[in-house]
Amino acid sequence: MAGAEATNTIDSQWLDFAPLIILLPMMTFAVILFLGRVFNGNPFWKNKMKEGGLIALPVMGASLVLSLLLISEFLGGFNPLKVFDPATVEKIAWVNSGVWDGGSSVKSVTFGFGIYVDHVTVMLLFVAAFLCLLINTFSIGYMNTDPINDNRNHRFYAEFVLFCSGMLGMVLADSFLWLFIFWEIMGLCSYLLIGFYYERPSAASAAKKAFLTTRIGDVFLMIGLVMLWDLFGSLDYAVVFDEAKIEEVAASSAGTLQWALGLMFIGAVGKSAQFPLHVWLPDAMEGPTPVSALIHAATMVNAGLYLVARMFPFFGAEALHGDLDDLAFIIAAIGGITAVMAAAIAFVQMDLKKVLAYSTMSQLAYIFTGLGCAMYLANTLDWHHDDDAHYIVVVAFGAALFHLFNHAMAKGMLFMASGSVIHEVHHAHHHLHHHDDHGDGHHDDHHDDHFDAQSMENMGGLASKMPITATAMLVGSASIMGLPLIGGFWSKEGIIANAWRVAQEDPRFFLPAICVLLGAAMTGFYMSRMWLKTFAGKPNNEVAAHVGPTNTWIKTPLFILTFVTLSSVIFAGLGFTHWASDNSYELGEKGLLKGLLYELEHAFANSDAFFFVLTYIAIFLGAVIGPGLAMALYGGKLAEGEETKPWMRPVIQLSAYIHKRFNFDNSAFAESTLATALENRLYIDEYYDKAMIHIVAAFSTKAAEADSEVIDGTIKAIESGSQSLSSVVRSMTTGSARDYILMVAVGTLSIFMLIWGVA
Amino acid sequence: MQDWISLPLVGFPLIASVILLAFVSRTDAKMRERLVGPVRMACLVFSLVLLMVTTGMFFQYFGDISWEGISFNSYEYYKQYSWIESLGIHWTVGLDALSFPMVWLTTFLLPVTIIATWNEKNGAMYFPILLAMGGALIGVFVALDLFMFYVFWELTLIPMFFLILVWGGADRKYASQKFFIYTFTASVVMLLGLITLYFFQDPGNPLDYAGTMTGRSFDIPSITQHAFAENSEGWYLGANIQKVLFAMLMLGFLVKLPAVPFHTWLPDAHVQAPTGGSMLLAGVMLKMGAYGMFRLPLSLFPHALEYFQLVLMTIGMISLVWGAIVCLGQTNLKKMVAYSSVSHMGVILIGIATMQPMGWAAALFMMFAHGIISPMLFAVCGAFKHHYHSMEIGAMRGMAKHSPWIATSMMFSWMASLGLPLLAGFVAELMMLIALWYFLVAEGWSVFWMVGPALVLAVTAAYYLWSMQRTIFEGGDETQPPESLHGEPVPDLASPEKLAMLILAAFTILFGVMPWIGLDMMHDWTKQIFEGLIMPILGDFNGGV
Repeated sequence: MAGAEATNTIDSQWLDFAPLIILLPMMTFAVILFLGRVFNGNPFWKNKMKEGGLIALPVMGASLVLSLLLISEFLGGFNPLKVFDPATVEKIAWVNSGVWDGGSSVKSVTFGFGIYVDHVTVMLLFVAAFLCLLINTFSIGYMNTDPINDNRNHRFYAEFVLFCSGMLGMVLADSFLWLFIFWEIMGLCSYLLIGFYYERPSAASAAKKAFLTTRIGDVFLMIGLVMLWDLFGSLDYAVVFDEAKIEEVAASSAGTLQWALGLMFIGAVGKSAQFPLHVWLPDAMEGPTPVSALIHAATMVNAGLYLVARMFPFFGAEALHGDLDDLAFIIAAIGGITAVMAAAIAFVQMDLKKVLAYSTMSQLAYIFTGLGCAMYLANTLDWHHDDDAHYIVVVAFGAALFHLFNHAMAKGMLFMASGSVIHEVHHAHHHLHHHDDHGDGHHDDHHDDHFDAQSMENMGGLASKMPITATAMLVGSASIMGLPLIGGFWSKEGIIANAWRVAQEDPRFFLPAICVLLGAAMTGFYMSRMWLKTFAGKPNNEVAAHVGPTNTWIKTPLFILTFVTLSSVIFAGLGFTHWASDNSYELGEKGLLKGLLYELEHAFANSDAFFFVLTYIAIFLGAVIGPGLAMALYGGKLAEGEETKPWMRPVIQLSAYIHKRFNFDNSAFAESTLATALENRLYIDEYYDKAMIHIVAAFSTKAAEADSEVIDGTIKAIESGSQSLSSVVRSMTTGSARDYILMVAVGTLSIFMLIWGVA
Repeated sequence: MQDWISLPLVGFPLIASVILLAFVSRTDAKMRERLVGPVRMACLVFSLVLLMVTTGMFFQYFGDISWEGISFNSYEYYKQYSWIESLGIHWTVGLDALSFPMVWLTTFLLPVTIIATWNEKNGAMYFPILLAMGGALIGVFVALDLFMFYVFWELTLIPMFFLILVWGGADRKYASQKFFIYTFTASVVMLLGLITLYFFQDPGNPLDYAGTMTGRSFDIPSITQHAFAENSEGWYLGANIQKVLFAMLMLGFLVKLPAVPFHTWLPDAHVQAPTGGSMLLAGVMLKMGAYGMFRLPLSLFPHALEYFQLVLMTIGMISLVWGAIVCLGQTNLKKMVAYSSVSHMGVILIGIATMQPMGWAAALFMMFAHGIISPMLFAVCGAFKHHYHSMEIGAMRGMAKHSPWIATSMMFSWMASLGLPLLAGFVAELMMLIALWYFLVAEGWSVFWMVGPALVLAVTAAYYLWSMQRTIFEGGDETQPPESLHGEPVPDLASPEKLAMLILAAFTILFGVMPWIGLDMMHDWTKQIFEGLIMPILGDFNGGV
C-alpha cells in the first residue's frame, strides 16, 4: 500500500518553473552586489532601496509565489507527485565520466541536475520560502537602522539571497549530490554572514569555527555519498529510492549501506549542530540577528534533518528490514543526549540569543530523536503489510517533520522578537549614552564600551513597552515548551510518545526516551526564564526603562508568525503529521473538525493506559514544573504604572504570585561546580581549542620545520656535496693538452662502446 | 589543412618576443621607460591574438574538426615538417583533447597575467619575456616529437629563470639557481630516458619517420602506436627496461609536478618569483609534469604503470597530505599557497594511480581547474606584496575594511581552492574521491586509503580560513596595517588588477557551474585511451570486479 504506486510521472505546469525558485535569488545575488558596489552611499540607494533590501524582497516574494503554486499543484490532484516527467524539465548532464569495471568498455557515469518534488520537499519548501520572505522583511527593519551601518548592507542582502537560493535548491534538488552542493553554498553564506562584522575578533573566529566544524561533518558526508554512489551507481533519488535497486544492494551489502548512511549522518550532525559537533552554533550568534533567525534557527540547521529525513526510504525498504536499526538508535541517541545537554547549558546563559541558540540545538535534537524512532519503527515493523504498523510508522515520521515545521516557525519568530528587543535596547542605550552626552552626532563605535545589548541583565519589564514583541515571544516560547494546544505541543508529544513506544521494543531506546522526557521539563524552565527575565519584573537598569516600540518592518513578520504558530492546531486537525510523511494520506482527509477531535482524543484521552499516563507526565513536566520553577525564581510584577496587553497580564501576575509564594534561594546551585561547568559549556569548546593548538597546530609547525630542514636539508646537502665534487673536477682542468687528449679519447671510446652495445 | 599551430601559436610569440627584446635591449634606460606602454600593449594584443586562435579552435572554427570522438593517438591540426632527417627528428605538431585544454589555458593566462602585473617594473623587458614563456609552454604541449618536446621543455626554463632572477624578491639568486638546477637535473634524467627509448627501437623494423642514419624515430605517434602493438603481446622493451624507463621519465615529471619529496624547489621559486612568474609557474608550468606523464610513460608503458601503481598512489597520498599539513604551519602567505599547489598536485597523482577513466578525467580537470584558480591565488599574494610589501600572515589585521577588493579576491580564490561546490576545483576533487573509492572497492585495497583525502579536505579548509582570519578579518576598531607600510594609507587593487581578478573569478565560476565545457572533451579522451590502449593491453589485470 505504501510507495508501490508512487512512481507515476506527471504533466505539471508549475514544475517547469521550479528552477526559477532557485535561479531568481541566485541571480539577485550578483545584481545586489553589483548595484551595491556602484551606488554605495548614494541616498536613494540607502533610503529608498534599503541598500538592496527592496530588491531582495520582491524576489523572495516571487520565489514564495512559485513555491506555493508548485505546492498547491502538488496538493491538488497530483498526489502522489513523485518524479517529474523528464520530458517536461530537461535534466542537465552536469558531469559525464566513466569507470572501468573490468568489462570491455568504459561504463559511463553521469551526474545530472533536476527537480524532485515529494512530501518532504513540499514541507521544507514552504518553510524555507515562507521564512526567507518574512525574515527579509524583518531585515529591512533591523539592518537598515543599525547604528553602526557603514554602507555594507548590500553585502548582507546579497549573501542573504544567495543563502535562500542555496536552501531552496537543496530542498528541490533531485539527487544527494546536488543536496550536498547547495548544502555547501549555504555553509559559505553562513560563514560570510556570521563574519558580517568581520572586524570583530569574536565574529571572525566564530565564522571560522562554524565553517570548520561543519566542514568536518561535510567530509564524512562526502565520503558517505561516495560510498552510496558506489553501491547504487547513482546519487539520484529516483534511482537510489527504487525498491528493486535497494533490494539488489541489500542482498549484497546491507552493512556497507549502513556505514554509508552513518557517515552521511555525521554530516547532518555537523550542520544541525548536534553533539559532538555542536560547538559552532552558539558562537554563530555573532552574526546579525536576522541571520541567526533565518540560517541558524529556521532553515539551514534544518538541512541536517532534511538529509536524515531523505534517508527514510532506505529504512522503510522491505529488503533492508531490521538491517539499519543500529543507525536508527545512534540517530535517536545523539538527539537525546544533545537535547538534555543543550537545555542544561541554556539554564545559565545570560545572553538572550545564546539561550535561543541552545534551545535550537535542543529542539533540533528532539527532531533527530523523532526521526531516529520513526526510522527504527520503519525498519523493524512489518509496515508494508500490517495496517496498524503502517499507521504507527507514518505518524512517528510525521510527528518529527511536524516538529521541524513548528520549531522553524516558532524559532524564527523568537529570534526575530529577540532581535527586536536587542535592537530597541541598543537604540535606547545609544540614545541615553551617546546623543545626550556628546550631542555632536559623532557615531562612537558601539563596542568600545562594554554595554551588551544582548544580555538579559540589561532588560526586564519590557512587556509594557514592546507588546507585540512580548506577545510573539510568549507564543513562541509556549510553542517550544509544548504548552497544550499551542504550536509544538502536538509534535513534541508525538516525539516523546514514539520514543517510549520504541523503548518498549528495544531497551537501548530508554536513553533517548528518558532524555526527551527530561528535556521537556528543562525546556519549560529555560524558555520561561528567558521570557520572564526579559519581559516581566521591573527594568533592570536605566536603559531597559527607556526602550521604545519597534518599527513596522519588524512587527509585520512577528504578527504573521504569531498567527501561524497559534494556528498549528489547525494543521494538526488537518492531519498534517500524517500527510507530511507518506503519500497515501491526504491533507484534510477527515475534515478539520473531525480531525481536530480525533487528535484531541489521541492526545488527552488515549485508550492505551501507558500513553495516557505518559502524556500527562510530559504535560506536567513541560507546562507545570519547568515554568513553575522559573516563575519562582524570576517572576515579578511590572514597574508601577506600566500596563501591558490583557493576554499577558495573567501570566505576569501568576509569575509574581509564584515568585512571592515559592521563591527559594538557588545560590547554592548557582555557585556549584555544575553551574560553572554549564556556564563554560561543559568545557567542550575548551578541549577542542586545546586539541587544535596542542595537536594540530603544533604538529603542522613541526611538519613545516621538517619540510625545510629534513627534506630541503637533504637537497642542500647534495648541493654542497656536488659543489665539493665540482672542485675536484675543476682540479682536473689542468690546462695541459696531453690530459685533454686523453679525456677526449676515453670519452669517445666509451660512447662507441655504448652505441655498439645497444645496437 | 592549414598549419594553425607552428607559426600562429608557437613561432609568433617566440619571434615577436625575441624581436621586442632585441629592440628594447639596445635602448638606454630613459627610452626603455618610454617604451613600456607600447611594448606592453603590443604583448597584450599578441597574446589576445593567441587566445582568439585557440578559442576559435575550441569552437571548431578553423577547419572541420571535432574534439570529441577522436580515437586515441590521433590528432587534430596535425602537421609535420622534416627537421633533421638523418636522426629522424621532425617538427611535428598536433592537438588532442589532452593537450588542447592546456594550450587554451596558456593562451588564456597570458593576457590575464599581463593585465594582472600591468605595472611591473622594467616592463619593456618583462612583458616580452612573458610572451616568450607562453610560446615555449605552448611548444611543449603541441610537440609530437620527442626531440622537439625536450627542446621546448628546457626552453621554458630560460624565461622563467630570468623572470625570477631579474624581477624576483630579495633571495632571488639562490631561488632562480635552485629552480634551474633542480628541474634541469630532473630533465636530464628524463632526457636519458628519452634517448634510451630512442636507442632501444629496433632499426631492423623501422618505425615511421625513422632517421636515415639511425633507423630510429623520435615521432611520438609512431612510438605510441608501436608500443601499443608490442605491449599487447607482452612488455614493450621487456619488463626490466620498461620499468626503468618508466621510472626515469616519471622522475623528470614528478619533480616538475612537483611531488613530495621533490617539491622543495617550488616554495622557494614561488616566494622569490614575481607575481607574473608565479602565475604562469603555478598555472601552466607545473602541469607540464602531469601532461608529460599522460603523453609518454602512461601511454607507452601501461604494464609498468600497473607495476608502480602502489608507488604512485603512495607518492600522491604523501604529496596530498604532507602538502596540506605543511601549509598549516606556514607563516608566509605565498609559501602557504605554494604548498597548497603541492597538495593539489597530489590529487592529480592519485587520480592517475586509480587507473580509472574517472580518476584520469579528474586529474585532467584538476590540471585545468588548478590552472585557473592558482593564478588567482598568486595574483592575490602578489597584491599583498605589491601594495602592503608584506606577505606575513599575522603581520596585519582587518584589512578587508581598507582593501575590500583584495579581501574579496582573497576570499573568492581561497574558497575556490578549498573546493567549494560550483567553483572549478570541486568537480575534480569529487571525481577523484569517487574514482578512488571505486578503485579501492573494486581492487580490494584497504578503504583506509580514504583517510588521507578526508583529512586533507578538513585541513585545507583550516589553513585557508585561518590565514584569512589573520589577514583580512579580525581587526576590532584598530585595524593593524602591516608595519612595512610605514604608516602610509592602506591601498587597494589598481584597476588592471581588478580586471584580472574579475576575469579569473568569472572563469572559475564558469567552469564550476558548467564543467562539461572542458570535461566532456577530457572524458572523451580518457575513454579513448582506456578503450583503445589500457584495456586491450591490461585486459583483466585490473578491474577484477
